[in-house]
Amino acid sequence: MRLDRRAFLAGALAAGAISTAHGCVNAPRWERRAVRQPSRSRVAILSAGAYDGRLVDVVLRGLRLFGLALTAKRVVLKPNFVEHDPNGVVNTHPALVAAAIEAFRRAGARHVVVAEGPGHYRDTEHLLTATGLHAVLREHRTRYVDLNNDNARPLRLGSHYTGLGHLYLPETLLEADLLVSMPKLKTHHWAGVTLSLKNMFGCIPGAIYGWPKNVLHWAGIHESILDINSTLPVPRFAIVDGIVGMEGNGPIQGEARRCGALVFGDDPVAVDATAARLMTIDPRKIRYLEEAGRFLGNIVEERIDQVGEPIDRLRQDFRVLPRFSALKSFV
Amino acid sequence: MTRSGEEQLVASQNRDGGWGAQEGRASSTEITALATLALGRLDTPAARASATHGVRWLAARQHDDGGWPVSARVDEGSWATALAVLALNALGHEPARAVRGARWLVRRVPRTLGMASSLLHRFAPSSLAVRLDPDLKGWAWTADAASFVEPTCYVLLALKGLRRQLQGAAVAERIDEAERMVYDRMCRDGGWNYGNSTVLEAELWPYADVTALALLALADHPGREANQRSLRALRGMLQRVDSGLSVAWATLCFAAYGEDPAPWRRRLVERYAQNGFLGETRAVALALLALTGGAEVFRT
Repeated sequence: MRLDRRAFLAGALAAGAISTAHGCVNAPRWERRAVRQPSRSRVAILSAGAYDGRLVDVVLRGLRLFGLALTAKRVVLKPNFVEHDPNGVVNTHPALVAAAIEAFRRAGARHVVVAEGPGHYRDTEHLLTATGLHAVLREHRTRYVDLNNDNARPLRLGSHYTGLGHLYLPETLLEADLLVSMPKLKTHHWAGVTLSLKNMFGCIPGAIYGWPKNVLHWAGIHESILDINSTLPVPRFAIVDGIVGMEGNGPIQGEARRCGALVFGDDPVAVDATAARLMTIDPRKIRYLEEAGRFLGNIVEERIDQVGEPIDRLRQDFRVLPRFSALKSFV
Repeated sequence: MTRSGEEQLVASQNRDGGWGAQEGRASSTEITALATLALGRLDTPAARASATHGVRWLAARQHDDGGWPVSARVDEGSWATALAVLALNALGHEPARAVRGARWLVRRVPRTLGMASSLLHRFAPSSLAVRLDPDLKGWAWTADAASFVEPTCYVLLALKGLRRQLQGAAVAERIDEAERMVYDRMCRDGGWNYGNSTVLEAELWPYADVTALALLALADHPGREANQRSLRALRGMLQRVDSGLSVAWATLCFAAYGEDPAPWRRRLVERYAQNGFLGETRAVALALLALTGGAEVFRT
């Protein structure tokens, strides 16, 4: 989008000018409180062939690999529900959401809620019922929170890529003990890939920022992803729906690509880097991921302990738009 | 549904007089404006009292400069100003506040994509990632952002309702340009989504709720081919969409274009009986409007 590229270019020029003026190229642009990079990260890739009842066991197995302390905790599951396309694979599959609700409960969580704030679409009732998510929520007696219309509080940014100063964030997330990002494994026509970090765009309330959250596009998609993720003051976990992903012109109009994998981890940067590699995309060439790898988590393979299935067994060569062909140049 | 919808709205009103998107949520200008509008047209003591309380909430939240914030928790004036103006004007309450709000809207100018995009649009439109005329200005969701369909349509409805009080070439020019912007963003086969018809050569599909709203905002041009094409597109979308929000907007839209709203009203009542629109206050308020001849509120 021209908005993004222009804002991106302007941001890059401004950043370059500032760096040159201060003689400190690559100076940190984050607050000390935002630093979450562990010395090593663990990411699990588990094989899952279909969206069926066996998923609960797979998810539970994934959670146990991380020893999460979930007893009596409030867990917010944040899937990626964008729009309803009866023929597409736009959204996190409701069966995976159902499995996650069940697995977190079995693992001891006291409250599990599902929350999302779609970026384009305001008809939540249609989105929930048409995609089948509402039936899942009803069957599992689980509350849904529309993050676009949740009560919100302003928070000072943990990093300064957008220059926005603060962001309003939904109270449901701020009061959670664990926020679980559940993106679809997809390419993205502006950002390259959309995974657990980009999925946090849906945490920004549309009632304040609009549909789409255009002010974030002006501020730069990569920059906004970094600022949102550095500002959310909640422990995080990620489960990527890579059973069937999307390649090509994602996040909405791409084509289905079967991968047969779920990716788990408590370092969302390492999860996204691994998921990108699963798509045969170089995470170091995704600008927000590379930058996140400086303070929010790990993208370097040597610092990621990858467990479960070997990545090469499930890796798929996801097609990208020609403008993103450089993302595949490491292959 | 009129009775139960009224009872639901009255019961879900916050103690401060406003309404949130769902029961228990903090009051917001958008939802309060729509709920007040819906209840203010009903002739029962409970609805009248509730609407009066709603009007007071709106009056108390207007900024000195004429704008309204999205909620009491946010400082800046916002897109929701258009709905507050629309509600106060339609109910005939606080007319001076409505006019002041409308003037605030007229002063509000969105961001444009700049000279480079403008030149590309004229001389090499296929090089743009999105197919739109970047020079056309409507209204944005937030300050420092670009024009989008939904906020522009709310402002068009608000300003057209106050045309007599807002005389002047500047207002007429803003309305004219905003209408052109909305038409420019129309999807190929009719209808509208949030505001992009094409991205990277791919056609995007329209949404029923936005299409009905845009058609309402453009209802003073019923004979235009684009309006007729979008009405057909809306009927097609409603074969797949049953939600309270979309069917309520569509009912108001079809009534504004002189069609019999009775079949759509029946669908609304059935859906409400099925799932209560999942507790969405906005959908209940719009459905009440749709069931009580509320299209006249949006008459432009």
